[in-house]
Amino acid sequence: MLPDINHPVWVEFVTGTKPLHSTKTTINMLVHNNKTSYENDPSPENVKKLVARTHDFLTQFQTLFAIEVAEILK
Amino acid sequence: MSVIASATLHSIPEVQAAIAAGESMFLAGSREALSQLPKGNWVGGTIAYFMTEEGGLFAEDRIYVTRVPDFALGAEAIDYGPDDLAQLYRDAPVNGFTHLVLPAATKVLQVFAEQAPDFEGFLMRPVVGWVSGVRVERIGIDSPAVFNGKSGAVFEDRCVAMHVTLPSGKIADLDIVNIFESGNGDVIHFDKAGFCATECVIGGKPVNLADYIYEKRIPTEFPLVGDYNGSSINVSFQSVDPAARTVQMYAPVFPGVDYRFAKPVGDYSSAFGQAIASGEQQPGFACNCILNYLYGQLEGKKTGDITGPITFGEIAHQLLNQTMVRLYLRDIG
Repeated sequence: MLPDINHPVWVEFVTGTKPLHSTKTTINMLVHNNKTSYENDPSPENVKKLVARTHDFLTQFQTLFAIEVAEILK
Repeated sequence: MSVIASATLHSIPEVQAAIAAGESMFLAGSREALSQLPKGNWVGGTIAYFMTEEGGLFAEDRIYVTRVPDFALGAEAIDYGPDDLAQLYRDAPVNGFTHLVLPAATKVLQVFAEQAPDFEGFLMRPVVGWVSGVRVERIGIDSPAVFNGKSGAVFEDRCVAMHVTLPSGKIADLDIVNIFESGNGDVIHFDKAGFCATECVIGGKPVNLADYIYEKRIPTEFPLVGDYNGSSINVSFQSVDPAARTVQMYAPVFPGVDYRFAKPVGDYSSAFGQAIASGEQQPGFACNCILNYLYGQLEGKKTGDITGPITFGEIAHQLLNQTMVRLYLRDIG
């Protein structure tokens, strides 16, 4: 079960404060995409959008990325 | 019960029979072969190079068939142009995947390659696929095409997608096999996205990329490798024009990515064999790059046990080069 979308871990994750090391290309693309988007637009509105997308993504694909989710929540 | 084996080469009459039997399929074959097929629930693209159980093969009289699995809840073929490509993600199922084929050297490919990472639904709606091509001797003479079997239309300027809906117990999982890794050379940055590069930034200084490649005598059969949070994403070289001081590539470079030239690879077949664990589950779909076939001299040589079309570009969410792409349909829980 993922933490609620308002949990601070998601902001830390999408802004890169909480790094993730994975060998899986799809989630690395997500991290990279978040990073470049945040660098181009660090506004709270964009961070909120990135958090929502990331939360949706991990909710949908959490069975594929259980190890990565565990690392994010550590 | 299927009338045709999944994921292998078939004769044209076999594929005609499968279409008549109502199979939903992704097809890869020569324009001549695909043109002989009746309307049905299939999408396809032109290519006559394949990874087979016996090794790399060129065949214009056979078609590589990937059947949509019986457990799929739906499979809908739709074509898109450069102006409505973002709609692809809105049409994609919430749980499933989209098989996409784009013709090489077209505006629609350029739009997908440069803009897909910014489209709403990118990564959330898994997109797997490839870029259609022609015989390498006919590049610049013949045109790559895609086929929408549902309408019977053939396009040289649009792409075709099949949106496959999966049941709740299944999930689409894309992965890549990249035999290249970053070398130890300079880190290269680009200020803007594009297939054609002139200036780049190396060590904080502006450098002309064509000059750099020429002066350093860098072999361009090996790609630039981009670092995406630890995953290696290749961009391959199409040409370097020392006079115009431009470099043309088969996929766009992007700002915000650390690129390095790849470490050279000698034996491509062995490299793929080592990268793919033996006995690994066969993917639902796979493809590999024509540049690996050509530079690695893969005709007659195996790439692990993986089969599929050999293509002018590979798609795992975004356009890739010199990469094997695999789609797995995993059980949940």
